[in-house]
Amino acid sequence: MGRGAGVVRGDSVSWIDLAFYLLAGIAVYSGWRVFRTDSMVRASFLLLLSFIAVGAVMLLLGAVYLGVAMFFMMAVEMMVMALFMVMFMMNPAGLNPMNMVHQPRLAGAAGIIAFVALAGVGLVADFPERPPAAGGDVVRILGTELLGDSMLVFESAGVALLATMIGVVVLSARSGRFGPSDDGSRPPGLVPGGPPAGDPGSDASGGGHAHHHHH
Amino acid sequence: MNWLRALAATGPVPVYAAVGPGMTDEVRRLALDPVVELVATPRHASVLLVAGAVPPSADAALRRVHAQLPWPCATLWYRSRPFPELDYPQVIEAPEMLAGALQELHRAVLRGPRGREPVLLPDVPPAPFEGRGDYGQGGEGMMGGTPYGRPMAMTTDDLRDGLALDKLELSLGPFFRGLPSGLVLGLSLQGDVVQRCSVEAPPYPEPPAPPFLQALERPMPIAALELARARHHLGRLAEALDLAGLGAPGRRLLRSAGGLAPGRRLRWLGPLVLGSGLLGCVGTGHGRLTRDQAVGAGGPAARAAGQAMDARTEDPGYRQLGFEPVVQRGGDTRARWRQWLDEIDQSLRLAARAVDTDAHTASSGAVEGPCGRLTRDGNPPDLCPVLESILPGCEWGEALAVIASLPLAGTMMPFPAVTA
Amino acid sequence: MSDVLLPTLAVLGTLLAGAALVAVLDQAAAGVIAGGPFRGRLSAPLARAALLWLRPDATTEHPDALLWRLAPAAYLALAALGLAVVPWSAEFVPVRLPTGVVLWGAVEALATVVIFLQGWAPNAPLPLLGAYRHAAAGLSYILVSMFVLIAAALPAESLAFDAVVASQEDLWNVVRQPLGLPLFLVVGLGIGVWGPLRFADAADLAGGTTAETSGPRRLAWALARGAMLVAFSAVAASAFLGGWLGPWLPGPVWLLLKMLLLLALLVLLGRLLARIAPGRFVGLAWLVLLPLSFADLLWAGVLALYGGTP
Repeated sequence: MGRGAGVVRGDSVSWIDLAFYLLAGIAVYSGWRVFRTDSMVRASFLLLLSFIAVGAVMLLLGAVYLGVAMFFMMAVEMMVMALFMVMFMMNPAGLNPMNMVHQPRLAGAAGIIAFVALAGVGLVADFPERPPAAGGDVVRILGTELLGDSMLVFESAGVALLATMIGVVVLSARSGRFGPSDDGSRPPGLVPGGPPAGDPGSDASGGGHAHHHHH
Repeated sequence: MNWLRALAATGPVPVYAAVGPGMTDEVRRLALDPVVELVATPRHASVLLVAGAVPPSADAALRRVHAQLPWPCATLWYRSRPFPELDYPQVIEAPEMLAGALQELHRAVLRGPRGREPVLLPDVPPAPFEGRGDYGQGGEGMMGGTPYGRPMAMTTDDLRDGLALDKLELSLGPFFRGLPSGLVLGLSLQGDVVQRCSVEAPPYPEPPAPPFLQALERPMPIAALELARARHHLGRLAEALDLAGLGAPGRRLLRSAGGLAPGRRLRWLGPLVLGSGLLGCVGTGHGRLTRDQAVGAGGPAARAAGQAMDARTEDPGYRQLGFEPVVQRGGDTRARWRQWLDEIDQSLRLAARAVDTDAHTASSGAVEGPCGRLTRDGNPPDLCPVLESILPGCEWGEALAVIASLPLAGTMMPFPAVTA
Repeated sequence: MSDVLLPTLAVLGTLLAGAALVAVLDQAAAGVIAGGPFRGRLSAPLARAALLWLRPDATTEHPDALLWRLAPAAYLALAALGLAVVPWSAEFVPVRLPTGVVLWGAVEALATVVIFLQGWAPNAPLPLLGAYRHAAAGLSYILVSMFVLIAAALPAESLAFDAVVASQEDLWNVVRQPLGLPLFLVVGLGIGVWGPLRFADAADLAGGTTAETSGPRRLAWALARGAMLVAFSAVAASAFLGGWLGPWLPGPVWLLLKMLLLLALLVLLGRLLARIAPGRFVGLAWLVLLPLSFADLLWAGVLALYGGTP
């Protein structure tokens, strides 16, 4: 965790430079491996590794809060994603060879264009020379920004996320909207005893046919 | 590394017990010996203890259990017939030699090649590879199929809300530690919730303790009967505690079961069991028996469902002591646990009173055994179909707790087959 | 070089010695509760460790070998990471990180991932079930821990553990915020896979994630779990019991004493409380523990705004 030491310009390469190259390499390599591995659980955790490497790079840049928060959030998210992989996908362990990429040429072209564009911006653009005051408390500055000038953005984003979470819980709750979801809750009919309202002539089997992933 | 081996040999012997018919009590008593540690899975063990005559139908399963012990390992055959292909099987008959023999085998395994057994099963897949897909895998396209005879994971609709989730099919064998010995359960799980359950083989019969069988022939002192009943209930409670992760309190219960005498009251039992939150291991209502199922089950299971059925009410000896059957409301797993606790307390009180007055049972037609009514020619009730209806929807731990709380068919035995 | 070597040795040494101590305490607690003869019981953990070292590594059909080897090592590394930000005295912190509290949250989140991997890797049903159950509980207690730690960090006005300890000079957080330590102990039981929250290695799953492991791998996992409990007790002692603060004795000794107290408490809870059903725990965590942690944070906020020195 860099103790405030900056990047040493000139001939010598400091350990921070080495760490940066190593972490950047890990991030790119594991990001590539996400799409080449057969096991979906490994894909989730390779993505986690990529994010952890990026978080470590942020720590090298001195963003102590953002880097560690990146570890925290990505761990939980990838954990949930891995669980969903196991729940919904066939062959989550990659015991059968698989090819899980879709439209590879289009995706590859888009990726290369995005990479070139972002790298071009990084190399060519003229970034302002406003280094933060040495010894400044990064967490305090960040906190003042979050609850000062940018309060509207962050608070509204927070409330929107909270509303989303509550909506998800309500949608997936066992007590469905028109009765217990165990019984396949359906809205009552417009005519008493008639077919469910807003449901034009679907078959009587509850739940509907799940979309299974075929190749 | 001799000092390391010597140090390892001083510790408790990790033993996996494959329990045959009628041997559950003896193996439970073995858990109290500090020399032996009964482990939960064959992978943790260095010695396999085969106790009791395992029927031929479970032979293949026993070989699979033997193959799961990490080699090098050894097997001890206690009152049992060893596999024919073993050259030097260790067979013992006397219970007092059990712990010593296990320790000897463990040291031999640690020491060198002479103590080790051959590997019995070949390390090959059970079925040939059926490659069919584009990439040579076992199914249609990239999913499903059965490579090497193993069905690939597919999704099916969930019991609860129709969402299509992965399904895990497994069969828990006759020697699984959390189930009664001999019970083979085929489970279909989604996550850890049981969707479907089928009993593929019933559990091995466990004869009631000798005092109950003797009471069918002649009047027996009530104190002996009640102490035997309390011992049985303590053993079942210790099993439930063990499943809930409380091995040490379970051993305390077993130890006190071994030392029961008519004067003792075990006042610490209720606070220990209830205070540990054992009842929180299972939700309310799980494992609830319907009225017909409860009446069919009899014994503490019926009394826990509010049915006051007890053969002791017909016995003048008990009536003189002022016996009233204890019932609970609910009929679920928690009620059955509370029923055991209450019956232990009641049995100890009855034993204390009976020893003062030297009371004996009067009639011998029917005796209230620890799991239900015993008669000379009656058939024990079969609770395996009940399992298939009450387990779906239970979470794994709750399902095992429900099974441990029920007197399954094997826990009573028709009288003529038992020698008192 | 000594400012890298000494902290590393301190952290690793504490973790290994602490893990051994946890095993001994556990054995002693089991012996006292079970009753009966106490012959040579306290050396049993060491003998068991020697036995595990000598036994072979069992393998299953088609396991995820890399993840299976990685999981115990990663778990131990996470424990080391958590312990590294805890101050031992006013001057000595192995790693001086301004956001130590958030790092501990990351350690908890990654611990859930690692326990899932330990259950996933053997490619067997019982370990996988243990992993599922733990993931459900892990996602529930992590929020509780974060709110409780933020409440502890409020009086310090900083997310660094040395500031949190320094803010407890006049009054420990366990007195100032009474809800904090009990809630945090629940979290500790969870990340250590211990006692009532022992979902991953459950006895009814024939050992859960360790059902197919044997030999050195099992020893490594047991060691890592003990190490995680030690790291947790250090964090809890720093956040709620004043860390290295205390009269007469030097700072590190006080910290070790407080860690010992918390470890003994955790071991006792582990041996006396039954494992709760995972569904019930998830309900309990979201409906009871999380609102209580909100209340704790609110109380800490009220104290910070209106209490304190005039």
